[in-house]
Amino acid sequence: MDRGLREYLAKRLLLIVPTLIGVTLLVFAVTQLFSPVERAALYIRDPRQIRFVNEIISKYGLDQPFYIQYVSWITQVLQGNLGWSQSIHQPVLETLLSRFPATAELAIFAAPITIFLGIYLGKLSAVKKDTFVDHATRALAVVGWSLPSFWLGIMLLAFFYGGLGMFSPGRLSPWAEVLVRSGSFKVYTGFYTVDAVLNLNGAVLLDALSHLVLPVATLTIINMALIMRVMRSSMLEQLGKTYITAARARGLDEKTVINKHATKNALIPVVTLSGLLTAGMLSGVVITETIFEFKGVGYFAARAATQLDVPAVLGFALLAGIIFVIANLIVDLLYAYIDPRIRLG
Amino acid sequence: MKNKRAIGKIAVAVIVVILVAAIAAGVYVATRPGPAPSESPSPSASAKPVKNPDTIIEATIGEPETLDPAWAYDTASGEVIFNIYDTLIFFNRVKVDDFIPKIASQVPSVDNGLVKDGGKTIIFPIRQGIKTHSGGTITPEDVEYSFERAMIQDRDGGPVWMIFEPLLGVESLSELGNLTDPTEAAQVGQMIDNAVQVDGNNVVFKLAKPYPLTTFLQIWSQTWASIVDKETAIQKGAWPGNKDNWVQVFEKYHNPQEPELQETDCGSGPFMLQSWEHGKEVSLVRFDDYWAGPAKIKGAVIKMVDEWATRKLMFQQGDADIAYVPRQYASEVEGLEGIRVVKNLPTLQLDNLLFTFSIDSTSEYIGSGKLDGNGVPTDFFADINLRKAFAYAFDWDTYIKDAMLGEAKHIPGPIPEGLPYFNPDQPMYTFNMTLAEEYFKKAMNGTVWETGFTFDVLYNTGNVPRKTAAEIIKANVESLNPKFHINVRAVEWPTYLKALVGSKLPLFIIGWQADFPDPHNFVHPYMHSNGAYASAQGYNNTEVDKLIEEGISETDPAKRQTIYYQLQSIYYEDVPSVVLDQPLARHWERDWVQGWYYNPIYPGIYFYDLSKGY
Repeated sequence: MDRGLREYLAKRLLLIVPTLIGVTLLVFAVTQLFSPVERAALYIRDPRQIRFVNEIISKYGLDQPFYIQYVSWITQVLQGNLGWSQSIHQPVLETLLSRFPATAELAIFAAPITIFLGIYLGKLSAVKKDTFVDHATRALAVVGWSLPSFWLGIMLLAFFYGGLGMFSPGRLSPWAEVLVRSGSFKVYTGFYTVDAVLNLNGAVLLDALSHLVLPVATLTIINMALIMRVMRSSMLEQLGKTYITAARARGLDEKTVINKHATKNALIPVVTLSGLLTAGMLSGVVITETIFEFKGVGYFAARAATQLDVPAVLGFALLAGIIFVIANLIVDLLYAYIDPRIRLG
Repeated sequence: MKNKRAIGKIAVAVIVVILVAAIAAGVYVATRPGPAPSESPSPSASAKPVKNPDTIIEATIGEPETLDPAWAYDTASGEVIFNIYDTLIFFNRVKVDDFIPKIASQVPSVDNGLVKDGGKTIIFPIRQGIKTHSGGTITPEDVEYSFERAMIQDRDGGPVWMIFEPLLGVESLSELGNLTDPTEAAQVGQMIDNAVQVDGNNVVFKLAKPYPLTTFLQIWSQTWASIVDKETAIQKGAWPGNKDNWVQVFEKYHNPQEPELQETDCGSGPFMLQSWEHGKEVSLVRFDDYWAGPAKIKGAVIKMVDEWATRKLMFQQGDADIAYVPRQYASEVEGLEGIRVVKNLPTLQLDNLLFTFSIDSTSEYIGSGKLDGNGVPTDFFADINLRKAFAYAFDWDTYIKDAMLGEAKHIPGPIPEGLPYFNPDQPMYTFNMTLAEEYFKKAMNGTVWETGFTFDVLYNTGNVPRKTAAEIIKANVESLNPKFHINVRAVEWPTYLKALVGSKLPLFIIGWQADFPDPHNFVHPYMHSNGAYASAQGYNNTEVDKLIEEGISETDPAKRQTIYYQLQSIYYEDVPSVVLDQPLARHWERDWVQGWYYNPIYPGIYFYDLSKGY
């Protein structure tokens, strides 16, 4: 790695700090729009507790000035403590660490499939412009993009699980959960597919994979449409450029022109989109996680947000911020890889 | 270049392999002929197959807040706690006023000599040889520690007020003295120490004043009175039991920001905590050394499945044995093969329409704040004619039919049917538009009828019965006079709470669920000037306050009956609120679940009595 690139990477990674401060300040400021009583509602889930509202406000410092609350939070973050989540009933850091594998496992399976299928179909659609294949893939894109994920998820679940008894919700079947919790199965990563391989347990691996099918399918169908559309229009743009005409004039065969020249350049906007999409999946996909009982960080972030659980929301904002900064960095590196004219550093 | 192409091909191949493997896995899992690795055949498998025969799986909503018995005040926490901890005594199956001994070897009564000093001393002999989940034995010291720790912790909004009320005559620790002053703190500590004492193999509770024995035993049978294994609790960071420096004790262990025993099992109950995956499930495993013998099932899993469609499919497929079915979805599962429903279970809860006597003048829900047709004055509902008019304008039949699907009772007062001293002959308000009109015309010397009014009725989003009730009120009241306007608004719980505690809601709909099955637990919130709702409403009747305080200090059932009958009568006369309904519940289970019974005060499913099979 050359010095310029190293400096570039260091600068970009250092950017995480101001980005996170900015994000958390913004989130914190927004939560302050709610009155202390509204924020105390987080601790009062039962009418029997209503009479203690003032004590609760005082106990959790909800009536303290904004800057005192923020400084107090940031001080504890610097000590490695992200605070206590009242909506999730455990330390925020513990929640993030324990739930991230579920989200990441989903994203790791869904993102590559989504991206590769999106690119392939988008390219096919552009190359076969105005043919049946083009119309079919465009129709597929419109349908996929228009489908509400909750509807698609429920339909898939009703058909496969309700109708055929396949692909039950959750991350594992009850028997596999018992096995995973028992001492005989060692949880190394929290990714059940990976852990099953490391434990050499084929039954758990198959079970984990079967539980991934429907949520991954839902995410793929919904998100693939966007990549497909972008890839198609980007590809069409490249195919109309003079360097493609020149390449054809030089006698290059069509396969080489499309695969070697056009596709490569058409990928630039798709890489940006794919990066954002993967980062979005890694930050949690609330509806998919909820419907398929695949509870990861998205489900918990939504729960925390609806209950005005400030420490938890800030914790998730930190995680999302880190993921997006890193995703953007990877996208930039990929730019340079795809197009050597782009220089980093 | 060749490398890049190869990478692309490999990636496509990997994806194809994963897709095929995943689909094959699904087909395999769904169609495999034998049981899964950890499954064992049901005893009656030859007759009908039973899924997960050794484990009860409950699919529900709501997650426990904590497993700390001194902190927990929600039913989701209570459900886990009462399966992993034991109390001194417990309810005798379906009964709420009859008890069986558990950690105690006898239930105290005057007859067996364990209730003395006119009810001010209550003695519990401790059963010998009860094993704890960590391998120890429950001793009288554990019992003493459990109650003292609970009183020291006494978090704001927690359940320990129920222990304080009989023992020390207050509702919270801070009422006893200044906890930062060494002298006062030492006195408070002494009071706690004196209230629970070990005497040989007995634990003796000293009460501040006579307290109805049944009520005391009801409180002592519930999760906040769970017996904690002292040694394990201390290891996990709970109060170490020291009594030498009370200021320090209170500073460190009173009203903490987080529960001390959040995910810790310090119990000796029929099940042990195996795992708690937040937002997902709590898994319990049978405690084989349980003093009364091991449970029939090996384990229980309480799954939090928020999405109804998913929960329904799990229930339908037999992956859940017991499920929470919201009333509005009952028809989707009723009659399905393999699913059993038990209906019309009387609950100990009420839904009410409450009037605010003195509305906060800054309220955004009272329009102009004047009786000019565009608002209401802050003392609008201080006029009894208006309270009666609204009471008569409520159509119970429509409400119970539409909102509760016929599964609720119309009862007269704040004491639910089924509790002692419920007066079945108490007159009650019924739907009568003629009388409603009459009272509206009388209100504020006729000015209400002439000028009309406008105000908002709020309900918390997602609560269908409350929405229906608000719409019934709006439709009926507005039909009486075109100058009457009511706006029904759905708001989120934080907004609702803010308006409620600020006395900004002219009229609001909310419910109450019993802490313990005694009328005191209902008349206090609805009628006492310091009660949870009455205080927010600004309802203050000194005679009522006096009667409520007498009621909970009186041990003679006949005298208590007189008091509570009188309170029900005053409730009818004063109309501080109107009872909309006492709901009837349903229990849903797979037909292979055996042994379930209903006790309305249980916080959830008591797994000890359950088994699976046909």
